[in-house]
Amino acid sequence: MAVSWLSRLAARGPATVFPALGMQGEEAFYQLALHPEIELVDSPRHASLLLVAGGVPPELHEPLRRVHDQLPAPFTTLWYQSEPLLELQQAGVVRVDSLEALPDALVDAHRKVLRGELGVSPRLLVDEPPNPWRGLGDDGHGGEGMMGGVPYGRPMAMPPTQDLRDGLALDTLTFRLGPFFPLWPAGLEAEVILQGDIVQQFSVQSRPFPRAMSPVFFDAWEHAMSIARLERARVQYHLRALFHALHLAGLPDLAWRALRLAEACDRQTITALEKGFKDFERCLKRRGFFALHLPTCGTLNTEHAEALGGFAARAAGIEGDARRDDEGYRRLGFSAISQQAGDTQSRWRQRLAEVAQSLTLAARAQQNDAVTATTGVVETPRGVWRDERPGDASALLEKLLPGLEWGEALATIASLDVAGVSQWARP
Amino acid sequence: MELLALLIVLLISLGGGLLLQWWPNRRQPMATYPQRAPFLGGGWPDTHAWSRYHLRYYPMTLLLIAFEMEMMFMYPWAVVYVEQGMKAVMEMGMFLAILCVGILYGWREGVFKWQ
Repeated sequence: MAVSWLSRLAARGPATVFPALGMQGEEAFYQLALHPEIELVDSPRHASLLLVAGGVPPELHEPLRRVHDQLPAPFTTLWYQSEPLLELQQAGVVRVDSLEALPDALVDAHRKVLRGELGVSPRLLVDEPPNPWRGLGDDGHGGEGMMGGVPYGRPMAMPPTQDLRDGLALDTLTFRLGPFFPLWPAGLEAEVILQGDIVQQFSVQSRPFPRAMSPVFFDAWEHAMSIARLERARVQYHLRALFHALHLAGLPDLAWRALRLAEACDRQTITALEKGFKDFERCLKRRGFFALHLPTCGTLNTEHAEALGGFAARAAGIEGDARRDDEGYRRLGFSAISQQAGDTQSRWRQRLAEVAQSLTLAARAQQNDAVTATTGVVETPRGVWRDERPGDASALLEKLLPGLEWGEALATIASLDVAGVSQWARP
Repeated sequence: MELLALLIVLLISLGGGLLLQWWPNRRQPMATYPQRAPFLGGGWPDTHAWSRYHLRYYPMTLLLIAFEMEMMFMYPWAVVYVEQGMKAVMEMGMFLAILCVGILYGWREGVFKWQ
């Protein structure tokens, strides 16, 4: 009995997929997150399929191999708009280039791999201990007593600096996280030094992949564009970001609701969207998203806020918004909203206030068929795009995160948009 | 005889437990070393996970033990108090005085401040 009854039972369940997002892979991620027969998981250990969505640059192939080898057998990989790794090209991996065909291909691969009908993906890394057992010391950890030595070839974590919280210096834990870590922007790789749960040092090793914007922002930069369409795209962008923050906060039902609302932005009437968003906002407050899940830390100083621009700057009291200078928006009675605190909580308050404002603007613009009056400048959800698109700002995390608890640091990253805007529009 | 029965029950339950663990995974290959490494989204750890960390509730635990020990002795003390009279009161007073030093130490360490 090559396939146990447990495997056959698992084959009938939803396809458990670990998404390793490359460049321009987000679109597939959002489509799959809402699919009833697909479950996107946060750890490769829970997955039967590895989906590599979007291009992965050669320097990130080694991290990708590490993620690949962490899936439990039997498993296979699918490559969406991505070139499979050289070692896997002979293994007959499935490559899918159409977004419509992707969900079915994943479900089919999941069933086949668990029933033993599909060849499993081979292991890519050498199966040997990274740091072999040396049998030295009292407990085989390489040194005397609890201290010193090089256990398993890795040095013991020793405190080089003072603790940031209460002066009690603890061992530091150094590790590299990313670039396929699902709880922060795709492509971001950082070396983190933790002391207890406090971030001692955060240094960015590779920047997040540039994010692809909706084509309407590119059109608005070139010629007059319907304000209703622009504002709908803005709402969708912020709600998709909210999906990640809610997922991180451990509120999956609200996260899916945010994403369903985001994906309905293109097709639902403005009235239905406004009503849906008001109900959703009330639900967020009732469930304590602001009071319990958003820390009042990660405050941007003026220099950082100006560098980041967009909603993050407005949440810190800087009232810069290119829409104020546009005659089309002025006719609709637009005025920029801002907050003062500039912390994680106020950034989400700002974003949600801007979503509500965008829906109101879209409703007014739809009645008057309003279009933008200026070209060569557009307020993207990430910030103003004049001569250059908003660039990468991940370097500011190195100044912002030290001193925060790990959970607060992740919530702060989720509240910011540090990835730059891609030169290519979303398909 | 009872000991033998107990030993048999123990062996059967132990054997059953091990069988339940082994049977579904008997054909599964052993997890490779890269698979067993901690998942860091493609990253890797520099240091061993065997690190010392601060148990933040530790002073609170000490305080609980201080109060708990006090109560543990006060129940039997209450039984003999009527018979022994003043002697028992003094003995308990000494014991409580020693315990209070622990509570004062906890106070100095900030046990009563909830962070």
